[in-house]
Amino acid sequence: MDDQGRGLSETVWTQIDRKAGAITELTIRQLRNRISTWVVLGVGVLLISLLLVFYIDSIRTTFEPIDNDGDSEDWDNDGYPLGQERIYGTSDYDTKNYPGSSEYIYLGDIDYNDQPRTHYGNHTWVSVTGYFTPTWIDKEAESPFIYYNWIDWGGRGIDCPDGSPFEDWTYFQSPSYCVLENGTYVVFAVSFAGEGEISVEPGWSAEWGYMTESFFVEKHPKSRYIDEDPINGIDDDGDCLRDEYLTEDEYQDDGNRNGINCDVEWVYDQNGNLVSIQADYNVDEDPDDSEHIGESSHRTFIIGTGKIAFVMILGLFLPLFLALGLVRDESENGTLHYLLSKPIHRGEFILYRLLGYLGIVVSYTVILILIVALITSLIGPGDSIVRLSDYPVWMGIALATILVLTAYGSIFNTVGLVMPKYGVYICILYGIWEFLMGLFTITIPNASITMLSVSHWAIQIIDAVVMISWSDTSLMQQKAEAFGLETGISFFWHPPVHTLETGNPFVALIISVVIMLSISIGMIAIGQLIFRNKEIM
Amino acid sequence: MSEDNKTPSVILENVSKWYGQVMGINDISLAIEGGVTGILGPNGAGKSTLFKLLMGRLKPSQGNVKLFGIDPWSDTSPYRRIGYVSESERLYDWMTAQDFVSTLARLHGMTREEANARAEHVLDFVGLHDVRHKEIGKYSKGMRQRVKIAHALVHDPDLIILDEPLHGCDPIARTSIMNVIRELGSQGKTVLVSSHILEEIERITEQIVILHNGRLLALGNLYAIRDLLDKHPHRIMITTDEPRKLASAFIGEEPVYGVRFPEEGKLEIQTNDLSAAHSVLPRVIVDSKVSVSRIDNPDDNLESLLGYLIGGT
Repeated sequence: MDDQGRGLSETVWTQIDRKAGAITELTIRQLRNRISTWVVLGVGVLLISLLLVFYIDSIRTTFEPIDNDGDSEDWDNDGYPLGQERIYGTSDYDTKNYPGSSEYIYLGDIDYNDQPRTHYGNHTWVSVTGYFTPTWIDKEAESPFIYYNWIDWGGRGIDCPDGSPFEDWTYFQSPSYCVLENGTYVVFAVSFAGEGEISVEPGWSAEWGYMTESFFVEKHPKSRYIDEDPINGIDDDGDCLRDEYLTEDEYQDDGNRNGINCDVEWVYDQNGNLVSIQADYNVDEDPDDSEHIGESSHRTFIIGTGKIAFVMILGLFLPLFLALGLVRDESENGTLHYLLSKPIHRGEFILYRLLGYLGIVVSYTVILILIVALITSLIGPGDSIVRLSDYPVWMGIALATILVLTAYGSIFNTVGLVMPKYGVYICILYGIWEFLMGLFTITIPNASITMLSVSHWAIQIIDAVVMISWSDTSLMQQKAEAFGLETGISFFWHPPVHTLETGNPFVALIISVVIMLSISIGMIAIGQLIFRNKEIM
Repeated sequence: MSEDNKTPSVILENVSKWYGQVMGINDISLAIEGGVTGILGPNGAGKSTLFKLLMGRLKPSQGNVKLFGIDPWSDTSPYRRIGYVSESERLYDWMTAQDFVSTLARLHGMTREEANARAEHVLDFVGLHDVRHKEIGKYSKGMRQRVKIAHALVHDPDLIILDEPLHGCDPIARTSIMNVIRELGSQGKTVLVSSHILEEIERITEQIVILHNGRLLALGNLYAIRDLLDKHPHRIMITTDEPRKLASAFIGEEPVYGVRFPEEGKLEIQTNDLSAAHSVLPRVIVDSKVSVSRIDNPDDNLESLLGYLIGGT
């Protein structure tokens, strides 16, 4: 009994299945035999290939990390990049001054009118003008700082001019140093190291100190100062929190004036949405490009390709070329008689024709999306080999495209049935409307007029899927605005609108899918009704 | 099958179909069952309209159409048992005949294998077995007609409707198609064949339906109608130099009941029995020793024959 019953139902279903299979297969073969099919499919492949080339090209240039603040440069060529010199408080414009280099420590000076005006000691003398009676001169010592006018002892001694040095000698006559006949050195605004007595004439000055011991500091690679502070509000590289350098300015380390040095202030509104990000100087100063710009550009590419290339361009052109004449052409050619003289309902016939059309366009779209998804997920930014988080988004794009192809296919097929002659013009006008509404949906997602288009709902699907799969996209947009790292993500993506006030992307996804399916089913039903009552000559 | 024998396969009850102001079919009532029936009528008589009404392509403006007791406009189930060859010349030229027929066979719910086997069988039946793997686009007109017939036979239908199946065929194809139709009739199937040429139908069947200007003109055995046709006054137009001399020779011949001189150099002979008149014609002309340049039979076509029938009834 059960066997029999099942056998019967199987027969009914398999018969329907065979009819559907035959018409679907016939439709696919028919479309395959038309040049226009291959032209429109080829143009689609060309479009997507161009986008891919553009993507690959852009990933090579802009996804490479950029040193936004320039602190990976080693301006003085001492082997230590600016970032490292900053942390150690050394100068990157002085070869002699680098992390671990010996440092000059001030001990004392004789200023213009100080008393006494002589001093004895073993010092590093800095900017000394006066008479120096040496006990010992360290002719091997090197200048601790390139801007000191360090005496080059290697040169020959210079004979002093006649007259009293600080009264008769003019500025231009003055050598940096010279030796008087009694062995006393006359020095003019120079620096050197040695032991002896300095005597400074009133109105001139001298300063002395000592050099610390130098120690070895490992040179950091330049790459350490590229993308060194990811956007997280922490001074990862420590160049804001360093000890003494530049700390005299109280605002230097508190750029956002919130009373806390070296922090990032995240400003939220009542609903918990991030309003702005205010960072102190040298904190998050070089946001990670491969992580932010790379990621953001990558998402922008996928969202933009999904919305414009797949939904709005392929979604419109494929049905315009392939679906408009599905039944109309058969009717005009007279070949419809062969098909309708078989025990097949006319309504079924429309459905199977559309199935055949969908067989071609859906497999085409899925293959195309798979190829693009595979390439972009392999070469896209990120640490993993394959960006798995891309795939749900691509699946959403495929879903949106398939639904769009179904909806437009049903609409165009029905229009072709009702108006065999002028249907194509109606469809082109309608296509322009759909394209404009798609653009409006992207730019002004809250506009209600766009709800009167199929493309609006398809774009909602992509928006919702992006929110589900890449939940941090919203944060990324805000970071992009806060740090001026615009990649277009704010243009191409908005959170889905139709969430029934819940903000839940799944709600928007379900609503959009249901609306698009309803449009398709409604248009198929209208087409069936018209076709059922149409007299065929 | 037995219950079907009680009711005729094809029933039309007071069926009319008009396109706007133009009458396509005018109040036809008809019941057809068994064997081959020829639907005869000149172009525009309503043969194709009749078939399209039967095939549910058109909705009758008035009256009922029933195939196996079912209205074909609202229900496609009769097509399980019907094969239809439309007048359309277009086929899927890129397909092979085997492909075409088996694809359409699958619309009857056959599996791919069944459909292929059936397609091969019917293509063999219509004499296209050897060329069945060639593209239809490369076929001659007669072969294309046979492909259309094959597709209509693929599900072994009880009722076969053929709209001008001999149209445009060469004599060999014509003979082969006629044989196919006769064979189907002898298998006990109901076959409807339309044509605008009486001789074609005569060679296939004796059972005919004559349509004219959308009306059912005559229905029944061809011989019964033939009797009627024999009373059809025919004219024979002879072009000669001496019409009066020839006319005097014809007067007195039994089948000839009158002569006329419609214009210079022409003689019109009026007869009730065309074949008898033609049998005496050569002898009279030879005996009278008049040179004759041309003999025409202006009435020997379906149009004038039907015109006579209308006037006669």
